[in-house]
Amino acid sequence: MTTKTNSHTSIRILFVVGLVWVGLLGCKTEQQIADRQPDPVAMTQIGDEASLAITGGAKLWAQNCIRCHNIRNPASLSDRQWEIVLHHMRVRANLTAQEHELILEFLKAAN
Amino acid sequence: MNTPLTCIALVGLALCSGAALGQGQPQDEGSVSRAEHEALRNDLETLRAEMAAMRKARQANERAAHQDATQAPTWIELERMRLRQDMIEQTLLEAKYGESNFHFTGFAFTRFTNVEGADSSFTAVVAPIILWELSDRLLFETELEFGLETEDGEGKTEVELEYAHASYILNDYVTLGAGKFLTPFGIFGERLHPAWINKLPDAPLPFGHHGGLVPMSSLGAYVRGGFPLGDAKGNYSFYVSNGPSLNVEGHGVGTLDFENFGDINNNKAFGGRVGFLPWPEIEVGYSFQFADVTPSGFDQQADALLQSIDVSYVTESDLLGGLIDLRFEWVFSDVDDVAFAAEVEGHAEEGGHAEEEEEGNEAFITFNNERSGGYLQLAFRPTKSDMEFLRNLEFVGRYGWLDLPSGAPDAFDQERWTIGVNYWLNPSTVLKIAYEHTEIDGGDDFDAIKAMFAIGF
Ligand code: HEC
Repeated sequence: MTTKTNSHTSIRILFVVGLVWVGLLGCKTEQQIADRQPDPVAMTQIGDEASLAITGGAKLWAQNCIRCHNIRNPASLSDRQWEIVLHHMRVRANLTAQEHELILEFLKAAN
Repeated sequence: MNTPLTCIALVGLALCSGAALGQGQPQDEGSVSRAEHEALRNDLETLRAEMAAMRKARQANERAAHQDATQAPTWIELERMRLRQDMIEQTLLEAKYGESNFHFTGFAFTRFTNVEGADSSFTAVVAPIILWELSDRLLFETELEFGLETEDGEGKTEVELEYAHASYILNDYVTLGAGKFLTPFGIFGERLHPAWINKLPDAPLPFGHHGGLVPMSSLGAYVRGGFPLGDAKGNYSFYVSNGPSLNVEGHGVGTLDFENFGDINNNKAFGGRVGFLPWPEIEVGYSFQFADVTPSGFDQQADALLQSIDVSYVTESDLLGGLIDLRFEWVFSDVDDVAFAAEVEGHAEEGGHAEEEEEGNEAFITFNNERSGGYLQLAFRPTKSDMEFLRNLEFVGRYGWLDLPSGAPDAFDQERWTIGVNYWLNPSTVLKIAYEHTEIDGGDDFDAIKAMFAIGF
């Protein structure tokens, strides 16, 4: 028992070190992910007035929707289906009201 | 005047006028020459032929005009065409916007398991999910899981109601809900368990429907939401539920039964999770659940406190050329020590924690009922590779452990190492193959190969 517990503890310490290491690697890329641009095809289909909000939505989409699973293509669902799915995700992922609104706006413009 | 000349002139004049008179009047009135007759007849034939041709042409024109008149659409036809056009437009619009308040989704998988010392086997599961948005605040969601099991050598289809609950968005920060829901305790159960999301073919050691340390679903009510904290973000989920009950008999004494849907006492379980995202890529969470777990008819009081911490880190790294997905969860379960009837023979009694007491003819066992377990999982997908095949590949490693109370019957510490390779056919369709090595404290180690084909639809 004692030897097992010791080996557990050392393995867990290794994990924490690993975690910090991967964390540092990732921090370098933080800005790039934040700057990820939305799909240019989608952007050509929308008016200028909406494009600002949608650029924000695209950024939030890229940041949030990858947190638990792969991102699905916006074109895979209709506007109405995205409304329902985003409602589902808002509850499941505790999205903020603003994230919900902007991401939905982006998906409707990009599908 | 010259007389002979005058005579010649007169004769000439007479001749000329005679010829002229002969031309102006028919020689024999009422009769024409044959040549003249032929000429006239030819003229007439030509005229007749021309007239017949003209009549034909006119008739053809008239017929055509009549046909046009009969083929021109009536107003009914026009109306019909307009309606058809509307319908086509509507269908096109629906394809983009959609109309229904229902959305049908879910996932399916087939899994192959070959565990050392056991028969290899295939299994298949389909889990349809129905989302019903009654208004933009009110959502009902339900998931049924159809699986296969063999009982007494007979194959059966097993159906489980994974969840069925309604939620209401009260305001920007608060959503209320009730029903049977995936328990927001830790992250695996609520966020990562669907087959198309989980990066390995099985659940980490402390999770899973049977024998896990944490509740996967709960029956009760919840309040949850997310809020900005400057540049960072926070979120919370709290719930009250029927709660688990303590197993006081049989092989699993001391473990908690999370699948009892009728409450066992009047006390509810309280629990929840709070999450903090300093940056969008990182989330740390703390979860807890407190419950009176005394089963009805049991004469000792037993409370259980479950706690866990979780860390998620998902980012696309330029340096590593791909997507890193790191998950870490550590769960602690502390149940009050009680004395159980010692029915089970041959239980592990190491370290002197377990005590066996004789009271009259009855034997009791008691042990320090503290358990813990967790896992660390790291996945990497070379999303920045130039080769499509490589971009679709994902490499996964997971280490999981379970520390169980020494002295508890059939409770052996475990450690499990898993490595896996996944191939993503699209964002929600994946083929996973994994190799597992499990070490059991005081038992035989074993290896396993698991493969899964999973589709989220
Ligand atoms: C906190 C984790 C989490 C986040 C963040 C998240 N999802 Fe999900 N998503 C899930 C889970 C879990 C499911 C599977 C639902 C189930 O099986 O009950 C899912 C399912 C889906 C589905 C399948 C249809 C459905 O509703 O079940 C789509 C599409 C989807 N998510 C899109 C998104 C989008 C778009 C975002 C970004 C706003 C997002 N997700 C963010 C966890 C998450």
